[in-house]
Amino acid sequence: MLKIKYFFQQSWLLILASFCFGLLIAVANAAWQGGILQNEEDKFNNLARQMLPDANSFEILTESIEVDLGKGKQKATTIKKAIADDGRCVGWAFKCEGSGFADKIKLVLAVDAGFEQLKGFGVLASNETPGFGDQIKLPFYRNQFIGAPAEKLLLSKTGDSEKIDSEIVAISGATVSSQAVVDIINRFLPQIKSQIQTKGLIGNGG
Amino acid sequence: MADKSTIHAGLYKETLLAGLWRENPVFRLLLGMCPTLAVTAAVRPAFTMGCCVIFVLLCSNIVVSLMRNLLKPHLRILMFTLTISTFVTIADLFLKAFQPKMSEVLGPYVPLIIVNCIIICRAEACASKNGLMVSIVDAIGMGLGFTFTLCVLAAVRELLATGAIFEVQILSLLKEGGWFVPWAAMSMPVGAFITLGLLLGVVNLVSKKRS
Repeated sequence: MLKIKYFFQQSWLLILASFCFGLLIAVANAAWQGGILQNEEDKFNNLARQMLPDANSFEILTESIEVDLGKGKQKATTIKKAIADDGRCVGWAFKCEGSGFADKIKLVLAVDAGFEQLKGFGVLASNETPGFGDQIKLPFYRNQFIGAPAEKLLLSKTGDSEKIDSEIVAISGATVSSQAVVDIINRFLPQIKSQIQTKGLIGNGG
Repeated sequence: MADKSTIHAGLYKETLLAGLWRENPVFRLLLGMCPTLAVTAAVRPAFTMGCCVIFVLLCSNIVVSLMRNLLKPHLRILMFTLTISTFVTIADLFLKAFQPKMSEVLGPYVPLIIVNCIIICRAEACASKNGLMVSIVDAIGMGLGFTFTLCVLAAVRELLATGAIFEVQILSLLKEGGWFVPWAAMSMPVGAFITLGLLLGVVNLVSKKRS
């Protein structure tokens, strides 16, 4: 009993401050979350438009798609269908995320209509080390994904970065961030592809 | 009574000016070097970072000053960090909601304000030992001193790297028929180190002459 009394005598201010500050952050978050999500959505659409230039509009897929993140965790993902002026599907874009070197990396991944080729990826959010890991945003690394087959990708430390295939050349000094992007794509792409195939939205050959 | 208010006014003035020159966080105390070098490639991000630091410094100094008599010595650093991280999180959320592009430009340097030595230094050296008004004036002085320094550094770098300040073209570029050749290195880390070193040299020279 004395120990509990001593604990509260010493730490009551810390407990109270933690509660008050937590409440303050929760209020700020609740007030601005809508704007933050809207900004993220706008960025998603801009990145997706850059990767799928033929798209005139994006249609959100109503079917629920869940990705298994391992360790029993599931993540619902919003898939957007890119529609051209003439109404045909010109590709798909979706958000995917995973752990990077410093924090979570959030990406937008775009693929062609048949889920056969990658159209590229864009970085929605990342806090990777400036000058090293944040080079995942640069064309040297990103361009390797444009036109790569929509199958399991491999990361290699050496190789020709201009050759477009399933082998991605890592950024020197940022192997963890390079690997993180490849892992995120490898985790999300096959699962989403197979679920879309199962739902009959693309051909089984795709 | 008049004497007391004069003494207070003098103290506030001295506290405010200390942050701008005598105890300038960057030029004299060499604190907050990480954002000083990292976000000064252009004036706009430097100014935004300065505003974030003023907000966090002001809020944390107010809170620390108000609870200074309740602080247990062995928990004080923990309390400072908790206070600072709360206001940094709020500043980060605000930027993400209302200045998304700037938030992206500043990247991890906004969350990194938590470990900016200026804030914890002022909490420890001033706010935990002084009343509310002195803490507020100290936060404003130090914050303005930091922002001013960042903006000066950024102005030099942006001008030499692009010929513009605050994205307004000042020097006419050679490729547009003018005379100025942009010095790209100034927008890179090397430019930050060179500019900071030269400005520190100038400040030391001025201080020596004045003393």
